[in-house]
Amino acid sequence: MSEQKYPIKVTVNGRKIEREVSARMLLSDFIRQELQLTGTHVGCEHGVCGACTVILDGRTTRSCLTFAIQVDGAEISTVESLGTVNNLHPLQSAFWEKHGLQCGFCTPGMLLTAKELLARNPDPTREEVAEAISGNLCRCTGYQTIIDSIMAAAETLRNAAEVQA
Amino acid sequence: MNAKYTPDVTIPPSTQREGVRSEPRWIGKSMKRVEDPRLLTGKGKYIDDIVLPNMAHAALLRSPYAHARIKSIDTSRAKALPGVIAVVTGREMAEKTGPTASFSSPPVVQHAMAVDKVRHVGETVAAVVAEDRYIAEDALELIDVEFEELPIVTDPMLQAQARGDAVLHPERGESNVAMDRTFTFGPVDDDFARAEVIVRRKLRWNRSEAQPIETNGAIADYDEGTGKLTVYCNTSMYNYVGWLCSASLGIPATHLNLVPVIAGGSFGSKLFLHKIIVLTASLSRIAGRPVKFIEDRLDHMTTADVHGCDRVYDAELALKRDGTMLALRYTVVDDYGAYLQYGYGTHGNTFAQIVGPYRINSVQARVVAVLSNKAQQGAYRGFGSEVSNFVIERLTDAAARELGLDVVEIRRRNFIRPEEFPYLIPTGNLYDSGNYEKVLAEALRMFDMEGWRAKQAAARQQGRHIGIGLVTCQERSTFSATEFWSLNPPDQAGFTLTSSPEAVSMRIDPTGKVFVKLNSPFWGNSPETMATQIVAEALTVEPSDISISYADTDSGFNGTGPGGSRYTVMLAGAVVTAVKTLRGKLFKLAGHMMECAEGDLELRNGKIGVKGVPAMEKSVAEVAIASHYFRLSFPNTPEFASGLETTAVYDHPLTTMPAADRSHLGIYYPIMGHMAHATAVEVDSATGKVSILDYVAVHDCGTVVNPMTLDGHVRGGTAQGIGTALYEHYRYDESGQLLTASLADYHMPTAHEMPADIRIGHVETPSPFTEFGIKGGGEGGRMATPAVLAQAVEDALSPFDVRIDEVPLTPIRLRELVRSAGKT
Amino acid sequence: MKPAHFDYARPRTLDEVLHLLASRPGDAKLIAGGQSLVPMMNFRFARPELLIDVNALTDLDYHRREGDALCIGALTRHVTLRDSALVRELCPLMAEAYRHVAHVAVRNRGTLCGNLCHADPASEMPAVMLATEATLVVQGLSGRRQVPAADFFQGVYATALEPDEMLVEVRIPVGQARLGHGFEEVSVRKGDYALTLVASLLGIRNGRIEMAAVALAGVADRAMRVPTLEAGLLGKMPSDALFAEVGAAASLALIPADVDHADAEYRRDLIRTLVPRALTRAAERAAFQPTA
Repeated sequence: MSEQKYPIKVTVNGRKIEREVSARMLLSDFIRQELQLTGTHVGCEHGVCGACTVILDGRTTRSCLTFAIQVDGAEISTVESLGTVNNLHPLQSAFWEKHGLQCGFCTPGMLLTAKELLARNPDPTREEVAEAISGNLCRCTGYQTIIDSIMAAAETLRNAAEVQA
Repeated sequence: MNAKYTPDVTIPPSTQREGVRSEPRWIGKSMKRVEDPRLLTGKGKYIDDIVLPNMAHAALLRSPYAHARIKSIDTSRAKALPGVIAVVTGREMAEKTGPTASFSSPPVVQHAMAVDKVRHVGETVAAVVAEDRYIAEDALELIDVEFEELPIVTDPMLQAQARGDAVLHPERGESNVAMDRTFTFGPVDDDFARAEVIVRRKLRWNRSEAQPIETNGAIADYDEGTGKLTVYCNTSMYNYVGWLCSASLGIPATHLNLVPVIAGGSFGSKLFLHKIIVLTASLSRIAGRPVKFIEDRLDHMTTADVHGCDRVYDAELALKRDGTMLALRYTVVDDYGAYLQYGYGTHGNTFAQIVGPYRINSVQARVVAVLSNKAQQGAYRGFGSEVSNFVIERLTDAAARELGLDVVEIRRRNFIRPEEFPYLIPTGNLYDSGNYEKVLAEALRMFDMEGWRAKQAAARQQGRHIGIGLVTCQERSTFSATEFWSLNPPDQAGFTLTSSPEAVSMRIDPTGKVFVKLNSPFWGNSPETMATQIVAEALTVEPSDISISYADTDSGFNGTGPGGSRYTVMLAGAVVTAVKTLRGKLFKLAGHMMECAEGDLELRNGKIGVKGVPAMEKSVAEVAIASHYFRLSFPNTPEFASGLETTAVYDHPLTTMPAADRSHLGIYYPIMGHMAHATAVEVDSATGKVSILDYVAVHDCGTVVNPMTLDGHVRGGTAQGIGTALYEHYRYDESGQLLTASLADYHMPTAHEMPADIRIGHVETPSPFTEFGIKGGGEGGRMATPAVLAQAVEDALSPFDVRIDEVPLTPIRLRELVRSAGKT
Repeated sequence: MKPAHFDYARPRTLDEVLHLLASRPGDAKLIAGGQSLVPMMNFRFARPELLIDVNALTDLDYHRREGDALCIGALTRHVTLRDSALVRELCPLMAEAYRHVAHVAVRNRGTLCGNLCHADPASEMPAVMLATEATLVVQGLSGRRQVPAADFFQGVYATALEPDEMLVEVRIPVGQARLGHGFEEVSVRKGDYALTLVASLLGIRNGRIEMAAVALAGVADRAMRVPTLEAGLLGKMPSDALFAEVGAAASLALIPADVDHADAEYRRDLIRTLVPRALTRAAERAAFQPTA
């Protein structure tokens, strides 16, 4: 193939990865196709729906608006880093309890957005939660139970922090 | 005194086996969903997550013109691009692949890719199969198409005058009117003659669509060794009519297996993805490799064939001066776009609940279906009856205004009364049960009408505009196949099917675990949770003892699928049948094992035991292992054959034939839910922006299996209703270009656009006809929200005396109304 | 929707950036946040031959006061400025405008300078630059030049940048006189580009308006100030009637754009409504400032 390949080294969910990518490969495709981490979803490829949200160097980022080549040397976390069936993150447990998902397609993006919010603001108001998730489209839930879930997770995390403190 | 008109329909007796449980264990419980763990951890396998060895990727070349002849296509440069495996034009594909499934009669012929002409912007002209999607899209740019543009008529009201080359399907007629029929149900002329008041409104419902976050997609794998095609697809229907795809592909049904895949939302847009199945299957056998095609958002918006209703109504309601409704009459022009895959089924659908919850005596509808150079309509939550809800509620509000009646009072006055159920409406459909007064009372209890009126008055003093709305709407569920008789006119009926079953397979393994196989998919509805709760209830086992899987068409049974909010009702029926069979066998086995009469046995907490004798019982596992492995412990008669498995097919429990002349449509959508929505809004009359201050939704879907998931549909549906009412509009310009062709332009509500708290109330009026009294509740809030917001905005702007007769109510439209009222 | 081919470079110094730009005149694009560029590339509306990734120039990620200017470097992300106490203090108009800009993930990556170079006619920050009379510092191989904001925005996606130049810094004048700020925006949904927005600053002395800057966006092919509107305010006492009058006059004098989701008539309505609202807030805030 005529496309030039560039080497990249990136840490994904704590694992060091080395690959060669074409310049134009979107980070969303890199994560899903190269790394087979299909929890990150693609809904629009123009940066509106937020289904492709990942955490890049500590900040939520639309992976469909980032080229894989750009993350050479960076750290990325995807939804797969949050938890597993037998060890769910409090956010995942809260979404389960409070019916924060129906089809599940927007959910990984919502979870990571919520994670970032709660790391910066452990005691948000519902309005602050709505503001934080306003860049993630959901077509199933109407958002209310997503906000319920994030508020519940926030409380769980605050209580856990208090216990530790 | 005029007698009430009742269509000549005999109501069949109920075949309900399980009534409402007095102390259910699982039905009615807000159990956490079975589907969630894998979705929460990013392990859900959606269509784009599936990878087959040696898989190639397809991209589609879409037409830039709204109407044009395809004069020539040169694919040589595209084929020469390294990484390209195949380039196929519509004409080439049509050599071996016939038209796609069409439910219009006569069919409005559509191919998976356009053959001789393109009829809307975005229609597919050619496809590229390549090593990856990037290369495939590069190759699209190397395909040279010579188009000869054809004239366009875009105004639906002028399609009757379209002639010559402006006609999309000349074989259907000389103009772009695909159908123009009048349906009369009852003594409409008499009822209008005796009316004391007639209110008339022209109403416009613009096109939007389901727009799920996941687009449609398929992976087709042609096995050269067997000649068989396996297609993975996120389609909602496959076990019911999947064989229509093999017909398009020119192969026997034995040579196509459709494999269900979980979907990221449908709301109707994934109802039956025959085109994408046929397209990828055809590409796979041409390319000689598995082919994946996933719509990108632009593919989806322009050519997925899923746009919603696009209607202009001229409607009249006849009443007595005291507000008693007599009759409804309307002409509707519906712009179906370039094809007519479901005939005018979205109007047949409205006839199921066309009179709303009101005792309207007769209905006449002139339905004009036109074709145009726009993407074709498909299904979107409500399938047309969300629009007729809007129409009847707007007419009711108009009547209230004209007669000086309170909007709540006029509705109450016309409600069908609890003692009148089951109630036949003029079209022949039945409302199985209801208590509309009770739902309204709950809405008024939850929504502080007086308080909001006081706030409204105070706000007016400050020049602010608060408005209040309350509507009462039907939510039909569980269609029967006889609905399809209304896809096409009676003399060209086409699909006069009468079966619309649902099926489950169920077995109990040697360890006593219950394995349930479903024949319809997951798309955000909760089939696994529904199945788990209902099976747990019926068999008295624990949810953790139940495993759910999905059958493909090779192994599946006739399952109509999750449309028209039917799945839970039909699933319940199939489960009850399956459990009856397995229970019967369990009792037979246990009776033999415990040497007692079967009639003395009961199921309790996963055990089969003698009534009144707690010590005499066997667990399901004990009986199961005996049945699987110890044949000689039982009599040598057929009913003791090894194993515990069954397949249950459940047919629609309440359906009758339409009249041959369609003077009535029979009973085809009778499991009737109901809702009352109330809202307070504030309208900034200077900018036209609407804020929703308060929102109450009271829903009656009969017995509720899982209140939490039902509330999800109420809120999710309300969110879509807010989108329809205030934001979403697929706009085409005069040259047929789609102006709203990205998610930046097609405005779906974000968390900001939602009211802070949609408060939900429940009333349960069980169905006497379904198992456990369940009704479908999946349409949710969308059935009422546009009507209630229209009423509330109109109320808010009453100083300007505007009429709200069009959705979406964009700020621009509201400002126009305020401006033309002459005041600022 | 996949982008077309491009060559890629990730230079480490500004000098490298400028040489790369000069090497492919007109065919190279800079990418910082990419939040506006990459959607266009994915749609294949933008097809640069060379993409120059400037994210390694981390020493351009700064915002600080230098004398009488708030200086913001090219790599400063929206989120930094939105959360910044310094910005709230020195340029509250920008802080207020940031409440309307996009969404979290876009703000995390997008840069102020990138947004200004993209020059969307309905974007918030170009209007803020005009109202604050910022200076945009532009650098090419031939040297640096200072471009007044008024000269920078030249049309839809068009700026004063030469093909071999990079916007390296924005300098917002601060501290000469205490000003009140007012910002009003109507968009279809919160975070969308504006249908119309007004960014205004008022300086009031002895009860009279001695300085007025009113910038609009969303109404034309670029953000714009309205000199006749501003002239109509100078020397006058702030009042509802005055603000209504200048808003109405501006709505008639301008010929707003008839594009996207609103027509000219609606934009006129918004100008007429939003100008007085923004000026009222600005006047309220100016009243709290100590007189200079």
